[in-house]
Amino acid sequence: MGWKIRRGLAEVVNVAACSRSLVIVGMVAAAPALAQQREQLTIGITQYPATLHPNIESMAAKSYVLGFTRRPLTVYDQDWRLTCLGCETLPSLENGLAERETTPDGKDGIRVTWRLREDWRWGDGTPVSAEDLLFAWRAGRDFSTGFGGSEFYRTAYEAIVVDPRTITLRFDRVTFEYASAGDWQPLPAHIERSRWEQEPRSYRTRSAYETEPTNPGLWNGPYRVASVQPGAGITLERNDAWNGPAPAFRRIAVRTVENTAALEAQLLAGQLDMIAGELGLPLDQAAALERRARNRFRVHYKPGLIYEHLDVNHDTPMLADRRLRQALILSLDRAQIVQRLFGGRQPVAHTNVNPLDWVHDNDVRQWPFDLARAGAVLDEAGWRMAPDGIRRNEAGERLTIELMTTAGNRSREAVQQVVQGMWRQAGIEARIRNEPPRVLFGETLSKRRFTGAVMFAWISAPESVPRTTLHSDEIPRPERNWSGQNYTGFRNAEVDALLQAIPIELDREKRRALWHRLQAIYAEELPAIPLWFRADAHVWPTWLDGVRPTGHLAPSSLWAEEWRVR
Amino acid sequence: MIRLLGARLVQIAVTMAVLSFAMFLLIGLMPGDPIDLAIAGDPRLTAEDAARLRALHGLDQPLLARYAAWAGALLEGRFGHSRLFAQPVADIILPALGSTLVLLGAALAVAATLGIGLGLLAAARPRLAPLVDAIAILGQSAPSFWLGILLIILFAVTLGWLPAGGTSETGGLDRLRFLLLPVVTLAIANLAAYARHSASAVGLALREPWVTAARARGNAEARVLLRHALPNAAVPILQVAALDAGALVGGALITETLFARPGMGKLIYDAVMGNDTNLALIALLLVALVTMLATLAADLAQRALDPRLRDA
Amino acid sequence: MRLALGVALLLLLALAALGAPLVESWLGHDPFAPDLFKRHEPASAEHPLGTDDLGRDLLLRLLHGARISLAVGLVTALAATTLGTLIGLLAAWRGGALDAALMRLADGMLALPALPVLVVLAAADTGRIGLPRGEPASDIIRIVAILTVFGWVGVARLARAAALSVLARDYVRAARALGASEARVLLRHVLPNVAGPVAVATALAVAGAILAESTLSFLGLGIAPPAASWGNMLANAQDLVFSAPWAAVWPGLAILLAVAGCTLVADGIRR
Repeated sequence: MGWKIRRGLAEVVNVAACSRSLVIVGMVAAAPALAQQREQLTIGITQYPATLHPNIESMAAKSYVLGFTRRPLTVYDQDWRLTCLGCETLPSLENGLAERETTPDGKDGIRVTWRLREDWRWGDGTPVSAEDLLFAWRAGRDFSTGFGGSEFYRTAYEAIVVDPRTITLRFDRVTFEYASAGDWQPLPAHIERSRWEQEPRSYRTRSAYETEPTNPGLWNGPYRVASVQPGAGITLERNDAWNGPAPAFRRIAVRTVENTAALEAQLLAGQLDMIAGELGLPLDQAAALERRARNRFRVHYKPGLIYEHLDVNHDTPMLADRRLRQALILSLDRAQIVQRLFGGRQPVAHTNVNPLDWVHDNDVRQWPFDLARAGAVLDEAGWRMAPDGIRRNEAGERLTIELMTTAGNRSREAVQQVVQGMWRQAGIEARIRNEPPRVLFGETLSKRRFTGAVMFAWISAPESVPRTTLHSDEIPRPERNWSGQNYTGFRNAEVDALLQAIPIELDREKRRALWHRLQAIYAEELPAIPLWFRADAHVWPTWLDGVRPTGHLAPSSLWAEEWRVR
Repeated sequence: MIRLLGARLVQIAVTMAVLSFAMFLLIGLMPGDPIDLAIAGDPRLTAEDAARLRALHGLDQPLLARYAAWAGALLEGRFGHSRLFAQPVADIILPALGSTLVLLGAALAVAATLGIGLGLLAAARPRLAPLVDAIAILGQSAPSFWLGILLIILFAVTLGWLPAGGTSETGGLDRLRFLLLPVVTLAIANLAAYARHSASAVGLALREPWVTAARARGNAEARVLLRHALPNAAVPILQVAALDAGALVGGALITETLFARPGMGKLIYDAVMGNDTNLALIALLLVALVTMLATLAADLAQRALDPRLRDA
Repeated sequence: MRLALGVALLLLLALAALGAPLVESWLGHDPFAPDLFKRHEPASAEHPLGTDDLGRDLLLRLLHGARISLAVGLVTALAATTLGTLIGLLAAWRGGALDAALMRLADGMLALPALPVLVVLAAADTGRIGLPRGEPASDIIRIVAILTVFGWVGVARLARAAALSVLARDYVRAARALGASEARVLLRHVLPNVAGPVAVATALAVAGAILAESTLSFLGLGIAPPAASWGNMLANAQDLVFSAPWAAVWPGLAILLAVAGCTLVADGIRR
């Protein structure tokens, strides 16, 4: 019976996927792709953007939608280089748009000037101007506004509007990222300023981004928000005021389907044209889809800056021993896991620096799978094999480590069980204990209430300095309101010094040397156990061209005007 | 009757007050306040940011003070804003409630119609009773998300007759197509009780002398069933329907997730998981209120239908 | 007939659960050890139902899953029934304000949408109220506890109704008049008469708990890996349901049969 059911399902799925696809698409009314000469592109994602305000709460679904509808000044592109989207030229010391200076209170400072792209307009025709940036800077600096991170606004102590298209910021700190405007983006002062000035504290709930998101004046990208279906999706229309290259689709519908099996079903049923990799299918589900429906969809795997790793608590006595951490990584056959579970599509990590990042050191120490050596290291550290297959130390303690991850994340839970099996081979017992994300991230990790290892991922921008995860000042403590992300409790004076030195070293080659040193220490000390860099699976219809994922925080939608029908 | 109604309304008010406090405590017991989560998600938040944001959202107050402030505002009719969606709670809840009521209403109607139909069939043709039983029991026994996935694979992916989920963009009759699969998924799980109760009530009625009399007068069998026997099933069926209301909202969470339909089940779940206390509490209490009022309405209808209960 | 069929079904599943170690030694693989070289293998003599996404034998996991799923069902049902019967009897026996308070509590619980509250409970931090956090066995205890919180209500209402009707009977009045102690009245006269409806409620509670466990697993709040339960096997299989449907079909069928068995037993007792 099992055989019959299996074959039956596999066959019908194949039929749907190949020969009958045209019929199905024609029959389902919500699949307007063919019916309307591909005027609309319907995209499925797994999260609904709770808010559309660019500066409140960071959320992947929001940045994906905002990629179509707003443009930042600067962004890291597909080659992981900083480029201008909203500005004319990237400021640099060489072109004179950035100048080193001394701040009024005598610190090393820098003034950076951005000139806005010509004829850049909001959807209602109002030009995007330096006033919009000035307003965004003022709102960000007023800490009662409730914007997320305030670090940028703290260091940018003065803003000078030079002319309607030019603005200069003065910083009291010089970093190699001085040209990046980060999250500081134009906010439409002609709509938002009066709302904000009325009362900054409640601005958040009165902002037009929340109360009237379809106001065209809020949007300055190739698309504008046309309608919002709360919880279900957001529909975008071409922005007539956009003066860049015209996008191919008149309408883009972003639909939220949180359950990935249902997401795939909607794709196969023709209700969705594509699934965005930024918030899409797990890798093995996408690979299975690719095998079955190759003639309808292309799957593009983009390895990115999503660092999957095991944070280990250095304040647990046994894990404080570096040899034990080395044994943990030696007994993990990461290459095999990547090969078998992820089709070899996720590069094994040697440190927290991605091999695609220019500062990566190709000669950094690696820890290939070596069970014999893991055993020797453990023997040397005093953990001897006992008859039941679990090692014990002199005092008779069992080598037991608590292994946690986010409950309900099928892919991580699968890896976790493989890790448990591999460690067992080396005589290490892993006890699995999982928690829902809000408990794990909101309490257990952030208040350091774990004793063993926790598997999760960091996503970052290119060349992002891991200060918050490695600096000893960033160990979460009650007196610091539990801020900081050095959950492991790693303390290393040289690393602290490097983390201070790297941001302010403007010379690329000198900086590369510092980065190499940081990676060398990381690989030796193993503050966390590196696993691999996650890859996103982007599922596109065969007729769609020109989507170029970045592999980092910047969503592919920032270049939506390059998307074309083949 | 009026006194009874008054007493029941007072009971409902007291229950709501107790419930609100219990739920506030429970959600307060959940680890990780919104700011802890924000810190974990955004490396640039510093210690000062954490303190500033916590004060901004009033999270630096003790739990009881927060409850008092929240309940006070609620009694004054100020529902406040959702932290997660930065919008007035009413603006978020009302559309979701509408969508869920449509889903549940349709599911209840389908379950009752199919269930009563099956029940009548079993009562009228006893030889078919085991088959009806089997259908009802299997429907009740399948995990709803499993059933939903199977239905999606069959009707949306393979046959392509119905959409796999989502909501209609054109409106009108097209909405029905989007409603069909989730409604059927919910209804199948719930039709068993209707089938069972209507079968036994109708079965009993068919043995009554006045039914024999109706038959003897030459009434067609169908007329006997529908006009004479079926009304006897009304009371037990109302009872089942009233009891189902609360359980259905839970079922709605699964169907809403699987079929990507925004609604109350999904909203409460997201609010709880996203630590949006205000939204979660008001939504939960609203559902409880609607359920209790539905139960009350069913009780009153029952009294109206069944003279024996009237004086009790 | 129904009772026999239901009992037979449940016995079969219970036997399968008890026989898990036997089948395990006969087939000779470890259902908890992942083998990355054997992912998603089709059915064969070595793996009668094939393997799952980590290369573990599906049949063995199904059998071990039966142990956990049935245990969750049974323990929850027993806990809920005991609590519910006690509360129902107490309400019927004492009457008055206590009765009113308990029944209003029951009404309130019934009015709450159970699932979202279960989610709150499942995510609540048990450490803050002094319970152990996240011990592997505590997973089952946690699920049983939160399902019991909702499970007792239906039983209590049934037990109260049955007890009230018995307490009003003439023979109970006679027994009291003859000087029988209250304990004797409750134990000898009321309890036996309540047993029928309570047995029905118990059977239905087992079914409800098995379904609820699968639903919690769907939401990621069920039994944690590597332990197998039908719910978590089903939930894990859903992502790959298009390419490996059998991994979802088997646990689904197992749940279906177990729940149907309990329903049949309940129906059988009721007649």
